[in-house]
Amino acid sequence: MLLAATLSPPPSAAQDVEPIVHTLSNGMKFLLLPEKGDPNVAAGWVAKVGSVNERPGVTGVAHLFEHMMFKGTRTIGTKDIDKDLATIAELDKVRGQIRQEEQILLEKYRRGLIDDPHDPAVRSERHNELLKTFAGLIQSQRELIVKDEIDRLYSSAGASGMNAGTSNDMTVYFINVPANKLELWFWIESDRLLNPVFREFYSERDVVHEERRLRVDSTPTGKIDEQFDAMFWMASPYSWPVIGWPSDLEGLTREEALDFFGLYYAPNNITASLVGDFDPDVAIALAEKYFGRLKRNPRQPEPIRTREIPQLAQKRMTAEAETRPQVTVRYHTVPDANKDEPPLLVLGNLLNGRTGRLYKSLVLEQQVALQAGAGVNGLKYDGYFELVGVARPPHTPEDVEKALLKEMDVLRDELVGDRELQKVKNQQLAGDFRKLKSKFSLMIQLLSYDALGDWSNINEFSDRIQAVTAEDVRRVVRKYFRPENSNTLIYYTKDAEGAPAPTEGPQGDGGQQ
Amino acid sequence: MNQRALNRRDWLRLTTGAALSAGWLRAADGIPAHPRLLEFPPLSFEPPEPSKYRRELAHGAVAYLVEDHQLPLVTVSVTVKTGEYLEPEELTGLASMTGSQMRSGGTTSLSAREFDEEAAFLATNVGSSIGDTSGGGSVDCLAANLDRSLELFFDMLRHPGFDPQRFQIAKAGVLQSMERRNDDTGGIISREYRRLLRGDDFFSTREVTKATLEAITIEGMRSFHDRYFHPSSMIFSVSGDFDTDDMVKRLNAALEGDWPGSANPQVPDVPKPTYQPKPGVYMVEKPDNNQSQVRIGHLGIQRSNPDQIAVGIMNYILGGGGFSSRIMSRVRSDEGLAYSAGSDFSPGTYYPGAFTAYFQSENSRCAQAATLVLGEVERIRQEKVGQDELDQAKSYLTEIFPRYFATAGQVAGTFAEDEYTGREKDYWKNYRARVSAVTADDVLRVAQKYLMPDKMLILGVGDVKAMLAGNPDKPEFSFQKLAGGKEIEYIPLPDPMTMEYPKKG
Repeated sequence: MLLAATLSPPPSAAQDVEPIVHTLSNGMKFLLLPEKGDPNVAAGWVAKVGSVNERPGVTGVAHLFEHMMFKGTRTIGTKDIDKDLATIAELDKVRGQIRQEEQILLEKYRRGLIDDPHDPAVRSERHNELLKTFAGLIQSQRELIVKDEIDRLYSSAGASGMNAGTSNDMTVYFINVPANKLELWFWIESDRLLNPVFREFYSERDVVHEERRLRVDSTPTGKIDEQFDAMFWMASPYSWPVIGWPSDLEGLTREEALDFFGLYYAPNNITASLVGDFDPDVAIALAEKYFGRLKRNPRQPEPIRTREIPQLAQKRMTAEAETRPQVTVRYHTVPDANKDEPPLLVLGNLLNGRTGRLYKSLVLEQQVALQAGAGVNGLKYDGYFELVGVARPPHTPEDVEKALLKEMDVLRDELVGDRELQKVKNQQLAGDFRKLKSKFSLMIQLLSYDALGDWSNINEFSDRIQAVTAEDVRRVVRKYFRPENSNTLIYYTKDAEGAPAPTEGPQGDGGQQ
Repeated sequence: MNQRALNRRDWLRLTTGAALSAGWLRAADGIPAHPRLLEFPPLSFEPPEPSKYRRELAHGAVAYLVEDHQLPLVTVSVTVKTGEYLEPEELTGLASMTGSQMRSGGTTSLSAREFDEEAAFLATNVGSSIGDTSGGGSVDCLAANLDRSLELFFDMLRHPGFDPQRFQIAKAGVLQSMERRNDDTGGIISREYRRLLRGDDFFSTREVTKATLEAITIEGMRSFHDRYFHPSSMIFSVSGDFDTDDMVKRLNAALEGDWPGSANPQVPDVPKPTYQPKPGVYMVEKPDNNQSQVRIGHLGIQRSNPDQIAVGIMNYILGGGGFSSRIMSRVRSDEGLAYSAGSDFSPGTYYPGAFTAYFQSENSRCAQAATLVLGEVERIRQEKVGQDELDQAKSYLTEIFPRYFATAGQVAGTFAEDEYTGREKDYWKNYRARVSAVTADDVLRVAQKYLMPDKMLILGVGDVKAMLAGNPDKPEFSFQKLAGGKEIEYIPLPDPMTMEYPKKG
């Protein structure tokens, strides 16, 4: 290489992340990382629960539950807690009666006696009466509610970016708090774990259904991608979507959400983290004072029992959608904490980017694809690796698929070169510094590593990446990239009604000479 | 101590009553009964002073340099006076293509692949782009690799190679995404709403087509680059692990000498739109979706408007304040009609921006949600906002203020952008005082002045039949009613390659 002389590799030792770890007697863990800088603290906590902990019938409950955690407590969000609780009980009762009516309609629908169980015309008189009673109760409850008070309390204190997220494996709640108002975070977060009130449950369930329509149903590929996941995972609970199946979203009850809370939101299943401008002694004292009030649940949630079964035959899905012609080839691999994950990540980085093998081969040289890349997804109990490519017409997704697999054949046969491997490691080292740039993202990473295994993996992981050899990479390619372990999704372009057929690009115009 | 619930009114009475100390309500564990009773130490914060960081460079370039030695990283960004507004209509797409190809196409001395390989091995991120009213680039590297990284960065800015093969691939990519521009309701509504606001004769609504893409050449990109990438129109922002004097030396060294096409042209200012939008209800048919997108709005204000801060507070209360806003409360929390709902009233930098309320909802419930949004617009024009809502909005805007200057990169970037866009002097210094001075009367006045129900554009994209049919359980809500007797206008989808719209009828 002509440039070798001018290159100075990055420094070899990255900075370790060393938070102060404090565990309360109820089992709740705190990862505290004081950092100089602006007067602000990135604060968050993770409940080690996600859609993987659900079962058929209640899919989506972990995520719906995340929404409910913003509805307030016995103190926050209400003008009269006793009346509020009485109304909630009344609402649940009427809802239960409505559910019976819905069951009757669903039974008629199953027997083919009605076409649409949601059509108002098919409802009984009693059903309509119950809906009216329910609407009346909602109206009277509105008088008692202080709307979204958690948000109001935080935002008037200058706290920002309050949100939460649910994945297959975890549920994270986070915010940025001004340094002088850290106690507000302790107050609100401990109160919503200690005294939560899941008010406005049924309208929030509708909100989540709208979220599903937004993210899945109304996007060109959302529903098909979801079905690809369901095809990929056979036994594993990763097969259903985090947002839940539509029927479950319609049927979830408040009692089911409460059961979920009791088991998974106990302090012994939660880790919190603070990164930013604070005194750790003060933070520990506040943690003891506020979160020390939570009671440990003697019943520790058990690891998921159902393991994915080994895949014995290739699986393939072909779909038509209003999207670019493309292909995904996905293989079962290993959980995030597995020793094979670092070589798989190195493999991903060898394939990705402007200097990655896929772009250079498929896009620049063969010109069969307009984009090509690899994705690594290590989950808590399992994982996958996928190759993706967008076809460049007149080439088809199948051409791209062949080209992707050919690149993997090369990696199966030949060891990657030293310089190529060093490039990936250099990027990892620089990335180790870059990830420290944002206090907020550091806080999220600490929580995420802890939910998937242990926070200290944030450091060990970098060392393990640096230790990966060319032989390791070849070994994982040989181990996981087997035809019977593959799942392929092909998208052909379906054009919108009335739209003209796609045309081929201006070949040669200003192109290669 | 009694843990009785306190509602907001109780709390206001308690804290304004001088006889009561917050300690009275502390429970035995020392935890106050309500978070509003917590007492916080004061936090004093003054925004940084731009002149402290500003340095003038060779050939009239300017830099804002903010040191931060916590991590061995350096970021250098540059903003250049250029943009899509400067490209000829028949070459729509030229500016953006030039911006991306500067980085993709190597330099006159390094092939595209050599450039990529070297940057990747150094773990240096280099980028370039040209947007609607500005362009520029950035480099982000380990401090140890600063020398070579800056060389690569300036080589890209000064001598881009515009590699023909990379250009050809980029064109094929643009063409493919062009084919797909009628797929997604989110993309369609952004485009059609912009057209309703600005008409078809303004640079911000022009779309690249197959014909304009084919008219773009390497020579065209080169001359576009040469015309605008001059030190005299460059503003740098530099942050990270460096020494300011040393960095100024390095930048000056890189800026000296002749630049391509050194004529130093006078770059025209961003034009102002003249189009007057036509109020009404508009629909775009995109069937087979169970959810539709809706936008409601009209033209807005410019950043130089003295009412800008009051308008911002008014909109925070109406729909800009997330969960604390009225639109979110009504449409999402109360009725469960949408996942995301709110409004935006960002002032335009060079010409008036827009007021835009938005939501997505299941088709049959869109009319109900739209009616609720318009009801909130009407309410904030009729009634003074509550003192608690106003206090909360103002408190948020003043308390969050330090976050605008949280990192060295933000400080340098904000000041560079302010200089580029000509933001008024002392804007940040006076910002919190101006927010604090806004009263409920001001909010009412600006709501009445700048929210204009008779000028509303209402645009729906999705399953039109289902949207118009509405919810059989709530027949009182309909788009026909919102149109007020006027015809609902149908906007057809354009040919994605020519952007020609089928004639009606």
